Amino acid sequence: MPSLTIKDELTIYNAAEQKINLLVFLTAGDDLEINLANVTEIDTAGLQLLILIKREAAHLGKNLRFVMHSKAVLDVLELANLTGAFGDQVVLTQN
Amino acid sequence: MAKTILVVDDAASVRQVVGIALKGAGYDVIEACDGKDGLSKLNGQKIHLIISDVNMPNMDGITFVKELKQLPAYKFTPVIMLTTESQEGKKQEGQAAGAKAWVVKPFQPAQMLAAVSKLILP
Amino acid sequence: MSFDEQMRDALKTFVIESLELLQDMEDGLLGLEIDPEPSERINAIFRAAHTIKGSAGLFGLDHIVAFTHVVESVLDTLRDGKLNVSPELVAALLPCCDHMIELIQGVSDGHADANSSLSAAARQLLDGLESFLNPEPKQAMTAVQDTSERLESSGGGIVDSGNWHLFIQFGENCLRDGMDPLSFIRYLATLGEIVSLTTFSHAMPDADSMDPETSYLGFEIVLNSDADKATIESVFDFVREGSYIHILPLENRIPYYVELIESLGEENAQLGELLLKSGVITQRELQEGLNAQQAQIPQPSARIGEILVDQQVVQQPLVNAALEKQQQIKDNKARENQSIRVDAERLDKLIDLIGELVISSAAASLRGMQSADVVLQEANASVISLVEEVRDSALQLRMVPIGTTFNRFQRVVRDISKELGKDIKLVIGGADTEVDKSVVEKIGDPLMHLVRNAMDHGIERAEQRLENGKPAQGTLSLNAYHSSGNIVIEVSDDGGGLNRDKILAKAIERGLVQAGAALSDQEIFALIFEPGFSTADQISNLSGRGVGMDVVKRNIAELRGVIDIDSVPGRGTTLKIQLPLTLAIIDGFLAGVGDASYVIPLDRVVECVELPVDDHRDYMELRGEVLPFIRLRQLFRKTGPTAKRQNVIVVEHLGFKAGLVVDRLLGELQTVIKPLGKLFSHVQGVGGSTILGSGEVALIIDVPTLIRQQEHNPFPG
Repeated sequence: MPSLTIKDELTIYNAAEQKINLLVFLTAGDDLEINLANVTEIDTAGLQLLILIKREAAHLGKNLRFVMHSKAVLDVLELANLTGAFGDQVVLTQN
Repeated sequence: MAKTILVVDDAASVRQVVGIALKGAGYDVIEACDGKDGLSKLNGQKIHLIISDVNMPNMDGITFVKELKQLPAYKFTPVIMLTTESQEGKKQEGQAAGAKAWVVKPFQPAQMLAAVSKLILP
Repeated sequence: MSFDEQMRDALKTFVIESLELLQDMEDGLLGLEIDPEPSERINAIFRAAHTIKGSAGLFGLDHIVAFTHVVESVLDTLRDGKLNVSPELVAALLPCCDHMIELIQGVSDGHADANSSLSAAARQLLDGLESFLNPEPKQAMTAVQDTSERLESSGGGIVDSGNWHLFIQFGENCLRDGMDPLSFIRYLATLGEIVSLTTFSHAMPDADSMDPETSYLGFEIVLNSDADKATIESVFDFVREGSYIHILPLENRIPYYVELIESLGEENAQLGELLLKSGVITQRELQEGLNAQQAQIPQPSARIGEILVDQQVVQQPLVNAALEKQQQIKDNKARENQSIRVDAERLDKLIDLIGELVISSAAASLRGMQSADVVLQEANASVISLVEEVRDSALQLRMVPIGTTFNRFQRVVRDISKELGKDIKLVIGGADTEVDKSVVEKIGDPLMHLVRNAMDHGIERAEQRLENGKPAQGTLSLNAYHSSGNIVIEVSDDGGGLNRDKILAKAIERGLVQAGAALSDQEIFALIFEPGFSTADQISNLSGRGVGMDVVKRNIAELRGVIDIDSVPGRGTTLKIQLPLTLAIIDGFLAGVGDASYVIPLDRVVECVELPVDDHRDYMELRGEVLPFIRLRQLFRKTGPTAKRQNVIVVEHLGFKAGLVVDRLLGELQTVIKPLGKLFSHVQGVGGSTILGSGEVALIIDVPTLIRQQEHNPFPG
């Protein structure tokens, strides 16, 4: 299964690059996994990208899962009340 | 990882008190005494927020923000301008340059902390 | 190092820094006059004052802030070129510089929290600066005050408020400006508890056109917080531009705010102020609303309430509550300003005296006519017209709106509904109708009885109503209106109506009518006013008090009124009480018989015809019907010459017509009824008297009584 690990932060500072990375990854297969363990920082721009890629995958009929959410990602999803909407299994990790 | 704030003011006492308040709240603080000094203190490092006075010798706050916003690494960095009631014009100028937040002088440390925490968490 | 130690340390820095700056400032001032290119020097001096002011604020040294602020303002004016360098200016600024040094040294000596107000010496110095600042110093001072006020209010709202509903669509540029929406929401959470939050991403376009640096997200948030609306609003100060931010009290909190608005003081009746004071809108929202109102073209037309609802800063029910409050305040003000309480007895005495005055002045006027004194006649004429005006306004004094009486029934209807287990609402109409005070006092009891009766016997139980295709809730109406010299009060219900057959059967059983008598509906309905008549199948708590409809009828008769009943089976019953406006102005028709004049209430008059040939019959034929006569000459035993051609005034009561034979027709007039004294209460056919413009007394004909007499004795003598 193709898997992408986001190595950097997901913020306005690199949102433009990350958008391209994510969309390219979307073409890698039909069953995809994005590892968020290393996302140390995420803001609204980053959250928008997560929403976008999830939506885009659904449009294309692909299965895309976020895994290994970092604490920063979990905090943002919690705040935006989207944990449930994303439907991914969230594993609470010590951080 | 604590977030870093650059405080640019020509008054050492202001830098000191703001520094005390911010450090107390868990931020890392870098100080600069005017616009020119501010630019030189950037050093390409990650700065999460900048607090800048308007009226300073060598390089004033407006010019500083304009130059800052030209730098790709800092074009998205939020800036809080320290304005006064009588400087409505300066506030507009600052906003046009890219400093969208402001704190009106004279202010109490708690007011500064409130403004900062609207923009970033420690 | 503890926080306090750190701050003490910082304060030391402040003192050293300030003293340095003040030294620079002094040097700068001293060299100012000899500097050919002083702008850089002026800038430095200004910056010194500016920096000291800003730093002093950080330490809460308000007295230094206040003093330095004025100095800074003068220097700012100088810097802008609006003020020129002069020996006087330098002479005024140098002692200020010295004073600031004293103030700073005071701080370093440990008087940091010294009296924050300005000393007398400081004031004197500032007064010296004022002449350079005119006319701005006052504004400058208020600016400082504003700041301190805001500081206080930022500590927490006065208004204790509850849950808020926020709708936020952040401006699309906010990310690029370094403003992170989620960060603001995190901050919002520090003001209370985010009960629920929904993120909307529908504004975000598809992947190709989505700009990763543009903000697309919107949020709907329910916040549970003790913070007031202005505090919550201020969270979004930095992102207001370009954003769509609406903060509304949560729907379930509306009643709380409605109550709050109702309980507000009554000093200010401005709608916006009421909303502002209750905390449902903020100063900024009000200002924006007012600006929008001003900007309307060609002229402000929408009300501020409409605009605020339109801009979604407040819900309609709250505006309504404020409007009501506004009306209440206005009403109360109006009442306070325009009402005094007067003993009714004193008023009666006054009206009585005015009645006498009318007669006396008419008599004086007649006397004047007989003399040839033109001046006296003119004087009399003006006295008469003034007296008439006085009389008219005195009569108005006794008139009160019947609404107060009607409104008392709201409570009665509610209580009786509960008692009876019926759901009945009261609808009031014509509350503004003015009635003589004595009528209002006496109509209460009969009305109470009619209302109880209608609720108890008239309006059916809910099950039965639904069965009959009517709404479960019954309606009882009280209505009042004027009808030519009468006040009409109606008590209607939408109940089952009167049962004609049942009434008739009961009446026959009680021997009130003979079996087989042919009676109209009207006559049958009227039977319920007979003594001891009751058709209720069961005696409830309400009926069975020994007060029947006969008592109601008697009470109304005492007010010289009549009661009619109208009922449609299945649809309801209306009781119509017609009362004279005692002491009121009525429209009448004036007729002469011999040397006397009579007034016939105009609403009784059908037409006037000429008496064809007086053959002393007691009837004539009018369009194929027999019209019985009542000869007023005979009735009132008038003598004097009969007019050559007599006239007949056709009058009507309850469908019966009669012709009043008179000598002269004198036309319509508006006149005042003066009731007959007790001495004449036995006189039949006269309803009262009035004083004509000539000072002559005219009797007012009581048409119903005359016609009733005519019925009983159609062809006298």
